Amino acid sequence: MIEGSISNRIRILRFHNGEMSQAELGQRIGVTRQTIAAIEAGKYSPSLEAAFRIAQVFNVPLGEVFQWDENATH
Amino acid sequence: MPYREKTAWLSLIAMVVAFGPYFTIVASLHREPLPNLRQLGLFAVAAIVQMLILGLGHLYLGRRSPEEARTPPDERDRAIIRRSISSAYYLLIAGMILVGCVMPFNSSGWTIINAALFTIVGAEVVHYGVVVFSYRRQS
Repeated sequence: MIEGSISNRIRILRFHNGEMSQAELGQRIGVTRQTIAAIEAGKYSPSLEAAFRIAQVFNVPLGEVFQWDENATH
Repeated sequence: MPYREKTAWLSLIAMVVAFGPYFTIVASLHREPLPNLRQLGLFAVAAIVQMLILGLGHLYLGRRSPEEARTPPDERDRAIIRRSISSAYYLLIAGMILVGCVMPFNSSGWTIINAALFTIVGAEVVHYGVVVFSYRRQS
């Protein structure tokens, strides 16, 4: 199996979008603040649908929010 | 702490507080033939204690964070619930095989009933334990 893990830039994107809070982002995509915190920390991988919603909120392609990091392991 | 983690803690505490003493007491009782109303009474007390803790606890938690209580579970909450139920299932099915297929040949009456109850309580403890652990780990 190919080794690697998913990393994300949600914290940076929130900062560039007027320091959007985790609660606001969660509310806009239909999850709790705790779920956004878990995604940001890399502890929880969101569904594809939630991932696309996050990208849509920031108005960027999915690949700018989530990346596959081949050097990292779980 | 998220509302759903608090409710899982509540369920875990209610289970341990209500059924911990119950199993401790019944383990020391003499075996009596059915219907054994003393055991039935003990079980009723344990069930009432559990219901009271859960009822009052949910009322208190719901009043403290009414918005969170009304919010339906999101995808991570549902993933945690699925994981916890599948973990508890293994214990439940093993216990039920023991209770239903093995114990009738060497036990009877309240021994079998208590073994079934113990399996159910154990599975519930695993279920809520995995929920709490998952929220603690943020996973």
